[in-house]
Amino acid sequence: MFFAFAKRFFFLMSLALVLVFSVVAGGQGESEGVKGGTELELWTFQETHIEFYEQMAKLWNEEYPDRQIELVATAYPYDEMHNQLLVALQSGVGAPDIVDVEIARFPNYLKGVPQFAAMNDKVEPIMDELVKGRFEIYAKDGKYYGLPFHVGALVMYYNMDILNKAGVDPDTIETWDDYVEAGKKVKAATGKPMTTIEVTEQWSFWPLISQRGSDFVDENGKIILDNDINIDTLQFLYDMMHTYNIAIPTPGGFCHSEEYYGFMNNGGAASIAMPFWYMNRFTDYMPDLKGKILIRPCPRFTPTGHRSAGMGGTGTVVTNQADDIELAKDFLAFAKLSKEGNILLWKLLGFDPPRWSVWEDPALHEKNKFTDYYINGTKIFDEVLKVKDEIYPVHMSPAVPDIINVIQSEVMYQVLEDQSKTPREALVDAANQVRAMY
Amino acid sequence: MRTVGKKSKVIGFGTVGILTVTGLVFLFPVYALVLAAFRPGQELMRFGITLKTLIPEGLSAENILGLFTARKGAYGFWLRNSIVIMVLRTGLSVLFSAFVGYGLGMYEFKGRSFFLSLVLFLMVVPIQILILPLYRMIISLRLINTVWGVILPFVVYPFAIFFFRQYAVTLPRAFLDAGRIDGVSEIGIFFRIMMPLMIPAFGAMIILVSLQSWNDFLWPLIVMRTEKMFTIPIGLNSLLTPYGNNYDMLLSGAFVATVPIIIVFLLFQRFFISGLSAGSIKG
Amino acid sequence: MSFQEIVPGQVRFIGGTNYKRLLNPQFFTAVKNSLTYMFWTIVVLIPVPMILAVLLNSIPGKKSYLLRGMLFIPALMSVVVVGTIFRLLFASSDMALVNRFVGLFGGEPQAWLLAGSWKSMFLLVLIATWRWTGINIVYFLSGLQQIPHDLYESAEIDGAGPVQKLFRITIPLLKPTTVFVTAISIFGGLAMFEESYILWSAGSPDNSGLTIVRYIYRRGFEAADMGFGSAVGIALLFLVLLVSFTFLKITGFFKQERV
Repeated sequence: MFFAFAKRFFFLMSLALVLVFSVVAGGQGESEGVKGGTELELWTFQETHIEFYEQMAKLWNEEYPDRQIELVATAYPYDEMHNQLLVALQSGVGAPDIVDVEIARFPNYLKGVPQFAAMNDKVEPIMDELVKGRFEIYAKDGKYYGLPFHVGALVMYYNMDILNKAGVDPDTIETWDDYVEAGKKVKAATGKPMTTIEVTEQWSFWPLISQRGSDFVDENGKIILDNDINIDTLQFLYDMMHTYNIAIPTPGGFCHSEEYYGFMNNGGAASIAMPFWYMNRFTDYMPDLKGKILIRPCPRFTPTGHRSAGMGGTGTVVTNQADDIELAKDFLAFAKLSKEGNILLWKLLGFDPPRWSVWEDPALHEKNKFTDYYINGTKIFDEVLKVKDEIYPVHMSPAVPDIINVIQSEVMYQVLEDQSKTPREALVDAANQVRAMY
Repeated sequence: MRTVGKKSKVIGFGTVGILTVTGLVFLFPVYALVLAAFRPGQELMRFGITLKTLIPEGLSAENILGLFTARKGAYGFWLRNSIVIMVLRTGLSVLFSAFVGYGLGMYEFKGRSFFLSLVLFLMVVPIQILILPLYRMIISLRLINTVWGVILPFVVYPFAIFFFRQYAVTLPRAFLDAGRIDGVSEIGIFFRIMMPLMIPAFGAMIILVSLQSWNDFLWPLIVMRTEKMFTIPIGLNSLLTPYGNNYDMLLSGAFVATVPIIIVFLLFQRFFISGLSAGSIKG
Repeated sequence: MSFQEIVPGQVRFIGGTNYKRLLNPQFFTAVKNSLTYMFWTIVVLIPVPMILAVLLNSIPGKKSYLLRGMLFIPALMSVVVVGTIFRLLFASSDMALVNRFVGLFGGEPQAWLLAGSWKSMFLLVLIATWRWTGINIVYFLSGLQQIPHDLYESAEIDGAGPVQKLFRITIPLLKPTTVFVTAISIFGGLAMFEESYILWSAGSPDNSGLTIVRYIYRRGFEAADMGFGSAVGIALLFLVLLVSFTFLKITGFFKQERV
């Protein structure tokens, strides 16, 4: 009886082993892609980026038949890709040729001696056609390391269904004061909030302080999280929620939560201020709002203030472990800086490309899934062109990931949801906490 | 066995009732997931989980079928890698850990306490601390991006050793002595006498180590370098990004991913009906 | 590593500085959360699976398989998706399922995920219970197989009822298994990361989901401060060793436990 069991167990195990060996033995040593080119290894944390790079690689091979490349692109989970890259750069082996580094993590790689290749020779010749502030985020000591995917311009997405019910014309909203007044109308007519404010992320707060020329850190990396502008801005968010009652905490805590998508999709709030790249969240997760959303510049704080801000982003770099650094740089510049690359960034990914000279290109006004979704969709770029020069650069330093963290888990929650601290108290505490670490 | 009286029937019925209710409550989120997997990914975002969405309608197998064609059939590779790693890692580590655990539980020898403490210590060390040295080791052994690179560090598994030790402690020593008197070698005793007694423990460990391996995330991630070599958890995680998620593939992928491990569970839970009949040895 | 400052391309010895920096409010929050979580998981996840395992063991055959499977399936689910499902179940709208349920009993809809510390801890323990009950049942079932039937039979002859049998025979004889399960609950509780990650992938309200391992992650990787991350890791190690070895000493683990 026992023997039967034991025997069967071993039989099963050895059978499984044999099976596995045959699979393992059969499944190794394969490669893919274009044969005969130089292999370029690329890491990203965003699978949709892969398609972009692959299309650009195809174009590259048509254009430079004598410098063929074979792109091996892999999408890793976000956190882990960055962690792995850190480990690989620190141990000097195992890093890819080209890699996407997200903005919040980028400063980590600028500590000490950056292990990336400088891209100045590619960027500087066309600087006047680029949104410069977006390149400075990924720079240190005058060297440009990362090439951005987009400008990430802040815009306002209005739900016209709700605005029309309340008789509000979005084109009359110039300043935040106008916005608050419109919000009161919306609230009175429909009972719905004008907007939602994140309590576990930073997307409601960071763009607004950037509109006013402030930031988490200044250009020298000094922490200015608790300056007066920031306190005042946080107070404004608080007032929208608790004084004017035109805003509610974002369902789910932040604008990328499943819960928020459902809420907004069902006409939960009248508007949301988010960067340009947020537009594919609407197309992908809020299909019921098709034909109801209007994109307009964001309100400003003062009559001459900036209406936009550049938010989020990803800097693509060539690492110093690349086998053929020149080739990797050339290809990356081709993908990210060329006109055809920038046009593809819009067509494929729905980004506002960093080379603004293509914004006027007819290709950006052709119909696609994004233009079909939004009201006057083919004129979206006319709206962004209006605010192109109203974007302050965002300053990055090694402390920024920490600051974002404190904003996410303490500041916004304590002030807006819990109301346990005033904006001043919360920001001063948070700033001191981060200062203590650096 | 026992005479089934009226009273024990009522008790038996009540027991089944309690367990069924508990089971249904536990299965509820799973049910929500299964429904979501058979609908377009957008649906979940549009409506959330409400009473209305729990009525099974508007289902289609489209996502499940699309799973194997999306991203050049990457999912098929992930599934294969996960299965290969699970089988190898479980087979090897359960066997080796059983040896060690049995030794620690059955024999008195000098330094046993120290050895036991060492096992516990290793159990406690968070893998995050070991990652860097392990990573360098795997690179120098040229095992990066191979199945063996994922398996090797886990061939001896402190957690399983501890479990087998706890189990072996309760084994009747009389068997050991009886075996020795009959002139069976120590190894023979293990395989022919003790192992059958430890079948429930083997069953439990096979299930749990498989599960560990199936859901293991951190280490395979570091070893595996190309999309074709990913395991399922890594692949699924790469669908989630700060800039939007691929819910279609995520939900159906997660659903399909539970199937193999359920099979393992069903196969090995039979071992819990152990052959430990009463009084097989009269002291 | 915990005595170094590690930045890409450079490593510097900085002595005990990393340990000095440990003494900050976030670290203490993390330790407090981890200990609280460990406490509750032990309180819930030892007795409940034990009783369920005893019940499962008492019913024969096919039914038992099915029920076991039902309880075990949650453990098989991938963390990522569980997160999505749970976040939607506990969504703050009054239509979301849990709030509908609360509404039935006359309660107010709650913003579960944003509601500070006790609710956060409640959710964390709830998810832990959901995920780990089935696994602990497997341990207890294999332990129950060890108990000879004739003990029960002779107890029955002596007129013992089911409750007496449970306390007189089952629980004492399950001791090795219970010790094992408690020990792994201690390790698991202190090293918890996933449950918190399931609910709050980014910040958790007022750090209510911050655990020690999350803190290691936050400092070591998100802020690329591996030296400091290692220092937190070492601190965690000491904490776990302290708690678990105390526990094992108390239970007389290092003495031969012959039944």
